[in-house]
Amino acid sequence: MKHYIFRNTTLEPLFKSQDAEFSGYDDISDINTDADIFSWFYLLPYQHDMDVLVKQIEFYYQNIEMVYNRIPETKFFCIFTLHNPFGAPIKTGDFSLRNTIQNFNQNIIKFSDSRSNVKVIDISDFVSNNKTVDFIDWKYYFISQMMINPRLAKNFKGWFESQINAIISKRKKCLVLDLDNTLWGGILGEDGITGIKIGGDYPGNCFAEFHKSIIELKNSGIILTICSKNNKSDVLEAWDKNPNIIIQKSDISSYRINWNNKAQNIREIAEELNIGLDSMVFIDDNPTERELVKQVLPEVTTPDFPAHPYEFPNFIEKLVRDYFQTYNVTEEDLNKTKQYKSNSERSAFKKSFDDFDQYLRSLEIDILIQAASEFSISRIAQMTQKTNQFNLTTYRYSEGDIKKFVQDGYWVFTMAVKDKFGDNGITGLIIIELDESNKTANIDSLLLSCRILGKSIEVAFVSYILNKLKAHGIKEVNAKYLATAKNSQVKDFYEKIGLHHASEVKTDSSEKKYSLQLEDFGYKEDDIYNIKEE
Amino acid sequence: MEKKVLSIIKDTFELEEVQVDISQNNCIKWDSLNHLNLILEIEAEFDVSFDPEEIGDIKSASDILSLLKKRNIN
Repeated sequence: MKHYIFRNTTLEPLFKSQDAEFSGYDDISDINTDADIFSWFYLLPYQHDMDVLVKQIEFYYQNIEMVYNRIPETKFFCIFTLHNPFGAPIKTGDFSLRNTIQNFNQNIIKFSDSRSNVKVIDISDFVSNNKTVDFIDWKYYFISQMMINPRLAKNFKGWFESQINAIISKRKKCLVLDLDNTLWGGILGEDGITGIKIGGDYPGNCFAEFHKSIIELKNSGIILTICSKNNKSDVLEAWDKNPNIIIQKSDISSYRINWNNKAQNIREIAEELNIGLDSMVFIDDNPTERELVKQVLPEVTTPDFPAHPYEFPNFIEKLVRDYFQTYNVTEEDLNKTKQYKSNSERSAFKKSFDDFDQYLRSLEIDILIQAASEFSISRIAQMTQKTNQFNLTTYRYSEGDIKKFVQDGYWVFTMAVKDKFGDNGITGLIIIELDESNKTANIDSLLLSCRILGKSIEVAFVSYILNKLKAHGIKEVNAKYLATAKNSQVKDFYEKIGLHHASEVKTDSSEKKYSLQLEDFGYKEDDIYNIKEE
Repeated sequence: MEKKVLSIIKDTFELEEVQVDISQNNCIKWDSLNHLNLILEIEAEFDVSFDPEEIGDIKSASDILSLLKKRNIN
């Protein structure tokens, strides 16, 4: 593919052994219309007079418009953003250069928005990925007008290729995923449905995040398939029963879960989906399987798999960069910011609602209350260990303790909360000791994760449980607050929901005991929250 | 070292073969751009940094060899 590049500095070493032709410096008079793809790749000139520089940049933009008119509409015109590699302005309060560069970049984005063959390439993405090498090597600037350090040439080449591939949409179509030690830690056939590591603490959290990144790829149009040596019935059962597995059967377009050789399985998947082997990327932790696929199906891309689950974020980023990037400013931006988005959107929402209930309603909060199960026990123990602030008694328990509670007939309920911006998972816990003969109950532990506070969810949760106790025939509930260095925010929580002091409060108020006659208790569920029990 | 330098010249200029007496005078591929590419390769390979004056003075393979020798690279 032949490139024609408009430039204002020496770029040749960056495009070594690529089919590229260059304009003269700052020269837009000539253009080779035989090229397949055109780029405007100007770098900020080394110019000390800020007024001149500002005018220069504005002039670039006008030139871009002129150049564009001479490029055939059927060919891509890629415009590089400008970035300022120079430090130390003399006047730190003078933002004219910064604003001019920002304007330039916004203008080219606008320019590309309304022209389908114009694409923007953001040089600052390259800069931020190559911070360890100086962007400019002044020796080469002064001897050969190179504005980019030639030592960055190799990295630049790879980066530029991925940018171009995204533009001409040379992305792969399909991920072929292994299961054991790839999508979860451990071996399903040996460790069992609850023994595999997915969700919770390390390394399960890495696998959970890995799932989420893969789901994002799926949402951007990548087909997910599975090729795994396992008993199919085991995997189907795991999908069915282990709620921590994020990539669901319904996310998978095709799977081969059997003991056949993987090259054969992958070939079958390609035929079934009617896609080329060269559009597939095979992810497997087992080097033997990878080697087999590399040798038998060299068209399939088979990247190395990270040695440690904590390396997954880098691994997936590289996968995306190398194989799955696509050019679409809005979608790309959406994906980039998704993690931060939920919380900032929530608070932006909050501002626009005068009425707090209305705000809460608009969040579409779903509260799911569940009795402890083998899938949640480790999370429950973990919560008792880690929750400090919203924790009424701060009793720390092991998984064994929790199992014992369940066996002894305690009520152990978790609360999972989600809203329109995302799923927070299990974030609340209550442990209640029941005395069926005296029809009393004692709240042993009550705790919530701080990230869901501020929406009165805690009141709804406890009230729901109190109603449930009442319906169960319990007459009296006892509870206490034990002060710690960190849980003062809940010192009046029980008062707030209507419990009464059962005895004198100790003078230092390190412990407060409460009791409540349930016949006095009437909490009406309202429609702010959608509370469900499973 | 001499072998390595010659092979870098050969690869950078994309030559079929290279003689030890190669210079800007007898090799049309040795233009200013390839000169730059060659210096970059040599600097990277031997982990040296030439001064701009030295880069300007380099006209031949033997110039490169003597500069490297000056830096105790053999």
